[in-house]
Formats: sequence, structure tokens, C-alpha cells
Amino acid sequence: MSSSLLVAAVLLFMLGSALAAAVLRDVVGSIVAFAGYSFGVAVLWAFLRAPDVALTEAAVGAGITTVLFLLTIARTTVSRSERFEGISLRSALAVVAIVVTVGATVPALPPVGAAGTPVLDGEVSQYYLDNAYDQTGVTNVVTAVLVGYRGFDTLGEAAVVFAAGVAMLLVLRREEFL
Amino acid sequence: MSERDRGTEPAEEGEEGRLSRPAAERPPYVESTIIMTTVRVIAPFVLTLGAFVMLHGASSAGGGFQGGVIAATTVVMLGFAFGIEPIAAHLRNEHLALLVLAGLGTFLSIGLGGYLVGENFLQVSEYETLLHHGSKYSIELVEVGIGLVVSGVITGLFFLLGTGLDTARDATEPGTEEDR
Repeated sequence: MSSSLLVAAVLLFMLGSALAAAVLRDVVGSIVAFAGYSFGVAVLWAFLRAPDVALTEAAVGAGITTVLFLLTIARTTVSRSERFEGISLRSALAVVAIVVTVGATVPALPPVGAAGTPVLDGEVSQYYLDNAYDQTGVTNVVTAVLVGYRGFDTLGEAAVVFAAGVAMLLVLRREEFL
Repeated sequence: MSERDRGTEPAEEGEEGRLSRPAAERPPYVESTIIMTTVRVIAPFVLTLGAFVMLHGASSAGGGFQGGVIAATTVVMLGFAFGIEPIAAHLRNEHLALLVLAGLGTFLSIGLGGYLVGENFLQVSEYETLLHHGSKYSIELVEVGIGLVVSGVITGLFFLLGTGLDTARDATEPGTEEDR
């Protein structure tokens, strides 16, 4: 009960900071609100017992992304005229459409922690949970799956990060030798 | 954003229509004793946490991606405290590219080493035949490789955005930049 209250508080905080990020006119304030939203997501992941994802969200979403946004904003002109963004009819309609779509889709998902979901009674996840330590010698099943069982996918991810780094060096024209 | 700005404030059209501020108008780097001291104290701990998350991913929450980002945060903090340009002058892009290449090379050599000890690419469990816990150690090496890639790329992105393009050329409005 108390944990669901906490989750509700986190959700409320996320909703507030998401609204602030969308509506605030001051771009720096908007970025800070967005960082708060990411932090809320990270806390939510921790509540849902996904510490690996929570750590990633906190480090990347709330940390580095905010820094990169701030650096980018420091190079542009910042408007400080009004406090809140004006909301046009078109964007309001888009928001309503998205909310209706998501609202119609989400109830079709099984509730969090429900018995009978593939995560809980599927063969694959049970196989990983049973055999991960014996086959890879790693106690964190997430890492065992990431590197041990699905190492090729992870190599692809690392290659994507590498390609992004090379592309950014090329596009921003700081390296002659690349 | 700038579209609407121009709509509401016609008086500032010249100011708002520009894509990028020239370096002279940007807020200058200001030394702050509090921030510098705090960063000097905190930075080693953050770097240690990053290394811990990177290396301990096999036994607890964490891994190369998270640890690499946390390790890169150290450089970001140093950049904010002591100015980005002096830090970037110490860590040149060549070094970062070497770091990233070393990380990817570690990953690939673990993967290719699977052919030596067994028959399959990235078959980490075959390293068990080489030494006890070999599978775990190879997984940790892969995590360290990922961490090197991620921290190098993030540090490079931070430097590139922070030190700016205008040392190479002034940012111009879209469409008016010269062909290269």
C-alpha cells in the first residue's frame, strides 16, 4: 500500500514536470523540468525492480542529456518574454490524439506483476533464470543475457555508439584525419 | 520556437532570427570557488563509482553503458568547473578516438577469441576451458570495452558541443553557408 502511494507520488511528479517541460517558455527551465521528468522515470524503474534500467535512465536521461541540451541552448538566443508557451489549436489536437491513442492501448496491456504474463511464465525467461549462472558464471542475469546470450546484439549496440561518435566528428568537422 | 518568437516580438526580429549567438555575446566562463572545490572533492569518487558500476555489472545492477556514462560525467563536471576549453585541450579528440577504438577492439577480440577457444563467435562460456571463471572475466572485459566506447563518445560529444564550431567557422543561417 505504502509503495503504491509512493509510485502515485512519483507519477504525479512526472506528470507535473512533463507539463512544465512542455509549457514553460524559458528554455532552460524547460530543460530542467525535463531532467526532473527523467529522474522521475528512473525512480519509477527502481520501484518496479529494474535497477539496471533505472541506472541508465538516471545517468543518460537525467544527467548527460540535460548537459547536452544546456550546452546547445547556451549557443542559441533565449527568449525570456513570457512565462508560458502559447498552445495552438493544432498542437492541442495532436496532444489529444496521442493521449486518446495511448489511453486506448495501455489498458490492453496486462497489469504490472500480473500472473500469466510471458515475462513470468514464459519458457525463455525461466530458462535464463535457471541456467544463467551455470552457463556464464555471472550472477546478474541482465548482464548474462546482454553479453552471454545476446552478445551479438550488444556488439551491434557498441558499433552504433561507435558509428555515432565517428559521425559526430565528421559532421562537426573537427578532425581532419577521420 | 524562433518562428513563434518572431510572431510575438516583431521588435526583436534581428535578434531572434539568428540561429546561433556569436561567441562574444555568450555568457563568459565564470570561476566559482564553491563549484571548483566541490568538483575537486567529488570527481575522484564519481570516477570510482563509474569504474565500480562498469566492473561490477556482472554481480549487481550496472554494466558498461551505465558505468561509461558515469565515468564521462567526471569530465563533464570538470568542464563545468574549470571551463571546457582548458579540459578539452588536455583530452584531445585523437585520445578519445583511441579510447573508443580500444573499447571496440576489446569487445571484438573477446568475440573473435571465441574462435580460438571454441567454435563460435562471442561464445564466452568457452573461456571456461582456459581458466576458472574465464566466462565471467570475459564478460567483464566486454563490459569494460563497452564502457570505454560510451565514455569516449560522450566526452567527445560534450567537447564538440562545448568548445563550439565557431573556432572552425561561424555558424550561419541555414542556406547561406558556403559549399564545402
